[in-house]
Amino acid sequence: MDTDIPDPAVSLTTATKSFGPVRAVDGLTLTVPRGQTLALLGPNGAGKSTAIALLLGLIPPDAGRAALFGLDPERAVRRGRVGAMTQEGGLVQRVTVRELLSFVSGTYPAPLPLDEVVALARIGDLLGRRVDRLSGGQGQRVRFAMAVCGDPDLVVLDEPTAALDVEARREFWAGLRGLADRGKTILFSTHYLEEADEQADRIVVLGRGRVIADGTSAEIKRAAALTTVRVTVDGDAAWLATLPGVRHMEIRAGRAHLRSGDSDATVMALAQAGAVRDLEVVPADLEDAFVALTSTAPASKENA
Amino acid sequence: MWGYVRLELTRTFRDGGYVIFAVVMPVVMYLIFTNLGLAPGDRHDAAIYTMVGMAAYGALGGAFNNGSGIAEDRATGWLRQLRLTPLTPAQVVTGKVLTGVVGVVPSIAAVLLAGVLVNHVALPPQRWLAIVVLLWAGTVPFSLLGLGNGYRLSGQTAAVANVATMLTLSIVGGLWIPAETFPSWLHAIAEWTPSNSYAGLSWRIAFGDAPTLRQAATLVAWLLAFAVYAVYGYRRAGRRA
Repeated sequence: MDTDIPDPAVSLTTATKSFGPVRAVDGLTLTVPRGQTLALLGPNGAGKSTAIALLLGLIPPDAGRAALFGLDPERAVRRGRVGAMTQEGGLVQRVTVRELLSFVSGTYPAPLPLDEVVALARIGDLLGRRVDRLSGGQGQRVRFAMAVCGDPDLVVLDEPTAALDVEARREFWAGLRGLADRGKTILFSTHYLEEADEQADRIVVLGRGRVIADGTSAEIKRAAALTTVRVTVDGDAAWLATLPGVRHMEIRAGRAHLRSGDSDATVMALAQAGAVRDLEVVPADLEDAFVALTSTAPASKENA
Repeated sequence: MWGYVRLELTRTFRDGGYVIFAVVMPVVMYLIFTNLGLAPGDRHDAAIYTMVGMAAYGALGGAFNNGSGIAEDRATGWLRQLRLTPLTPAQVVTGKVLTGVVGVVPSIAAVLLAGVLVNHVALPPQRWLAIVVLLWAGTVPFSLLGLGNGYRLSGQTAAVANVATMLTLSIVGGLWIPAETFPSWLHAIAEWTPSNSYAGLSWRIAFGDAPTLRQAATLVAWLLAFAVYAVYGYRRAGRRA
């Protein structure tokens, strides 16, 4: 082992978790180096929340292993190295924001001063308010403040902007960037492609509990933004799927819809084969790309 | 962990349900029972007897309210949030038990003060001391039973179960109406309840007798049973949280 390389902030190794017959996370391997901002992207039911619960040690994996900074997740949490905001809850009744934050800070060995937390989470106007009387957006800011007030090395946020309006979302991401500037490792989940695109150094796309794409935003877009090439076919068209660039093929009403990562090469090959009939080349937008990525995920055994 | 106890106590004292049912109601009932002459026997004796009964009733209310809070905390995700702080599960449980132990103090103090100030109850200092200590320490079994329900049952169910248990134990245990006036079959049951043995220790002392071994043994037996139940509930909740 090379001792110069510090343990990664997050390491999931072939982690698997089933709920009844549903395999929510299926042999997931994910390593997040320190200082990275990683977006876990996927539609509802892709396994994002389960993956987060596994890596935080909230639930044990059926198989595989989770570690934070080379430690068992529970131990990393006990040492104050982790702050987290789960999808809901954590807003306790009958206390003020200030009381709640000073309690949470007090459980960490070296918390941030309150004024820094206030600046990061933009909660200066909320300190004296009762936690159970906040609006949705204000509540999210307080929950973000709870996740960061202990000055943890790793901050994990499960769909932090769900149910926020555009303005609240913009403010939230400003706070997150402030955190990234402090060199923290950040892992957040979202089902908004633009958020992942704008906020993360690296995007991991999950589908049916597995990694289906992993890279920088540009890489993901390149891999995902498949152009659709359409031609009219008759007879056996299966060979079209083997053309250069083609990732996915569908025959609808006598037309082959080829999703291609390299439409130039696909069209050239079609031309060489003399198969160009009613040719159309349609570029995908980002949303299409995301749908393409997640809908072509290999089905797990149970869901096939 | 002290930060946790402080936060939980703040929440408890701001809980309207706690203030009304565990502090105000027992005092009001005490004053009504004693001043309308509903308690039997000599007026001063009745003031003492009912004071201990109502203090015990209020303390039960505080102890069970604390347990219901746990179910509420599970439902709102607060327990899950606590698991994401550096607090250990043992610290959280200990903190919650300590909150219960401190949370019963206002209930007991309010009724005893009403006894002294309004009904002019006079007892030798050592009897006061013994009563306060026994009423206070004796709430631990009830705290554990309330916590067990809080961990094992969902929010609303736990609250209902705790109030029902609290009222049953209060009434059958003779905290409202002396068990001596019960039909003999109910009196026989009352003597086995944890609430009757709990208040009974203080009743004996208040009237200058030593508590019976049977009362102490009954309460300790229930303490052990409820401790097992609370641990069982906590383990079950831990698997689901």
